[in-house]
Amino acid sequence: MTPAIRLILIKLLQAVPVVLIVSILAFLVLNLLPGDPAVIIAGDQATPAAIEAVRHSLGLDRPFIVQLGIWFLHIVHGNFGNSLVLNQTVASAMLQRLPVTLSLAGLSLAITLPIGIGLGSLAAYYRGSWIDSSVMTVALVGVSVPSFWVAGLAVALFSVVLGWFPSSGYVPFAQNPAQWLRALLLPSIILSLFEIGFLSRMTRSAMLDVFGQDFIRTARSKGISEWRIVSKHAFRNALVMVITATGILLSAAIGGSVVIEQVFALPGVGRLVVEGILARDYPLVQGVMLIYGLTFVLINLIVDLAYSFADPRVRYD
Amino acid sequence: MMVQPTRRSILLGGVALGASGLLPPAYAQTPSKGGTLIYATVSGPGTLDPHVSSSLVELEVIHNVFEGLVALDHANATKTMLASTATASADSKTYTFVLRRGVKFHTGAEMTSADVKASFERYQRVSPNAENFSVVDHYETPDPYTFVVHLKAPNYVFLDILKSPIFPLMILPASESAKPARGIDIVGTGPFALGEWVKDGHLTIKRFDGYAVDMSSPGRDGYAGRKIAYLDAVRFNFIPEASTRIAALQTGEAQLASNIPSELRHQVESQSKLAIHEVFPVGGSYIILNSQYGLTSNVLIRQAVAAAINISDITDATGGLNKPNPWMSFPNTPYYLGTTTPTPWYNQNNPAKAAALLKQAGYNNEKIIIETNDNYDWMKTTMLVVQAQLQAAGMNVDVRVVDWTTNAADMQEHTGQWNLSTTLFGPDHILGPQEWRPLLYGFPNIKGNTALDDAYAAFFASPGLDARRAAWLTIQQQVLGGGYMVKIADSGRLFGYAKTLHGQTDYPGILQLWGLSLA
Repeated sequence: MTPAIRLILIKLLQAVPVVLIVSILAFLVLNLLPGDPAVIIAGDQATPAAIEAVRHSLGLDRPFIVQLGIWFLHIVHGNFGNSLVLNQTVASAMLQRLPVTLSLAGLSLAITLPIGIGLGSLAAYYRGSWIDSSVMTVALVGVSVPSFWVAGLAVALFSVVLGWFPSSGYVPFAQNPAQWLRALLLPSIILSLFEIGFLSRMTRSAMLDVFGQDFIRTARSKGISEWRIVSKHAFRNALVMVITATGILLSAAIGGSVVIEQVFALPGVGRLVVEGILARDYPLVQGVMLIYGLTFVLINLIVDLAYSFADPRVRYD
Repeated sequence: MMVQPTRRSILLGGVALGASGLLPPAYAQTPSKGGTLIYATVSGPGTLDPHVSSSLVELEVIHNVFEGLVALDHANATKTMLASTATASADSKTYTFVLRRGVKFHTGAEMTSADVKASFERYQRVSPNAENFSVVDHYETPDPYTFVVHLKAPNYVFLDILKSPIFPLMILPASESAKPARGIDIVGTGPFALGEWVKDGHLTIKRFDGYAVDMSSPGRDGYAGRKIAYLDAVRFNFIPEASTRIAALQTGEAQLASNIPSELRHQVESQSKLAIHEVFPVGGSYIILNSQYGLTSNVLIRQAVAAAINISDITDATGGLNKPNPWMSFPNTPYYLGTTTPTPWYNQNNPAKAAALLKQAGYNNEKIIIETNDNYDWMKTTMLVVQAQLQAAGMNVDVRVVDWTTNAADMQEHTGQWNLSTTLFGPDHILGPQEWRPLLYGFPNIKGNTALDDAYAAFFASPGLDARRAAWLTIQQQVLGGGYMVKIADSGRLFGYAKTLHGQTDYPGILQLWGLSLA
């Protein structure tokens, strides 16, 4: 068994209790919240008997521990249950919306990585100059300004005034790749503003650490070009921190796309969760939380594996 | 009908009635067929099963896809729709419906009395509104075009129950009758048929070219009458943010947008190609007093609360479309009791009277708890103003903010510890006392009020409208005069639309897409 495969297995085993805890917490929190899905489903003119009938039909009148046990039993069989209000399975609801959120997160990361790393490296290289100050000011604005506010302004300017992008909606990639890109570009850029700010600051910090080390001075004394020093020697050494930051950003983009999905009316997982919570759709929120938990574990695993490629000193044997 | 939260919506101010008195009545051109209307609406439906639907986002689709035997006409009276006649027996124990011939479902099959009977039976089985049909003894289908309802006792308002736009008793194919709530195929007889439905994304309905127009009617008439669909299709885009809905109008991505906040209406009106349509009245806002919890179980305390309320302060603070109305019926409806009958319970703005009532009740600065939510700004704002008014009258008031789901459940199920809350009721103001009954007993949790019980008994036993109106007065005197609820105002909604959208009705019903056309 290769070290990488062993690492994957260990990480997956470690994920089991994490996912277990996440799902129990999701189940507990939702069940402790006041409000009753049976009331929502039965409607506001329903009699107590009708509400009770709905509650019984959904199994909500069973003891908490029984509901939890049934849910786990279904999960073991790969069944995430049925949404109480969507009239579809949790798995299909997730599968329908996951491409939207992944597209948004992926596209924003594709924008973030070159710009964030580039700006951070630039700021580190020109440390103390006006370039450094400008980049850090932009980064500070990026991480500070609320995305819903920027989104509103961006829609007003780029959609209403300039007409460059649609103000809302989503087109699947398979249906029309060009329209898919057009629909997602503006929300992705806005989502990436925070990410660029975060990543450029992280990159700058990591690069500054590297620039101060002896091997950089040695490289310069050997007459190696500045571009090669930055791109090959300095950046390679700063890459571990950049990978860590990227993993965090991807998780944040998937989990934090709620606001952007809301403003741009993108039918993604974020909106699904919000509406699920408001409707007390227990199976839906539990299922989404579980899948979120698995996704974050997977991202961490990829980050761990990436370390060994970025830094040959990192070994898992 | 109370507002529901979203999926079912997060309908800011969205009650059951709403949208479609869309356009000002000046359009004289002959409409041409074609085009797809893009409608930017707040959220998507959870279900399109009409028998269990009460949220506006669901009903906006349902009323264009399904039809019932009878419907509300332009004057809110009962008018036949799928029936050609609806006749009550002399003792009002038997109702006979002769069906229109040639009415087709979207599958192409003709509707018969078997479908009607199956739909009524399913409704009784699955609808939260089924209690209204407990008066039914049995159904009869003597031939394919005749449907007879036999009641256990005389009921003079049975047709009024059938015309309710909430939990509408729409006719489905008999093959759907055994299916559970929310489990049906979406097949109706309406002028539009369901096309594509992407949950949380968009929904499309398409013109049903096999639709049997009711040619006995000279024109469109509320939810009934001659329904001619000109649009090829209507696409509902679910856009929760009001500013994004407005942007969709401004960019031409939508030609119609619902729930425009009054503070943003200028963004629509500032563009020459766009306009605002006021749909009024849509509902009535109320303060609910929990009559079975703590201090507000005392009628004197409830009356003290009512005495302290100043309506105009509340409506000034909340903004929006509001008009004062002391009654639980809209003007120009059969049960509206006019402006001359005294309504001493309304808009009293009398802190001194409130203080006197508190003293009489033996009030000793105990805490009065207001429960509200942060999903609907107007509700929270209302309750903050009420808090200030009650404090000015000498009450010790706390406001507790929860989410709407909790707030609604606490009012409906009488859970939580609260004395006052607020909500919006909708078409009950049109449909009359029989529709109000479960809400009146339910929300303020009224128990042991024999005067109210007797008034309702008199209402249902009265064959004449005048006697029923007299009973309705007594009911409102008990409910509003007894401080179980405090009426705030009638309210409406704003729609933004592109001036390329034509087709007119001034009827403030749920979105009606027949008669609309795009230039």
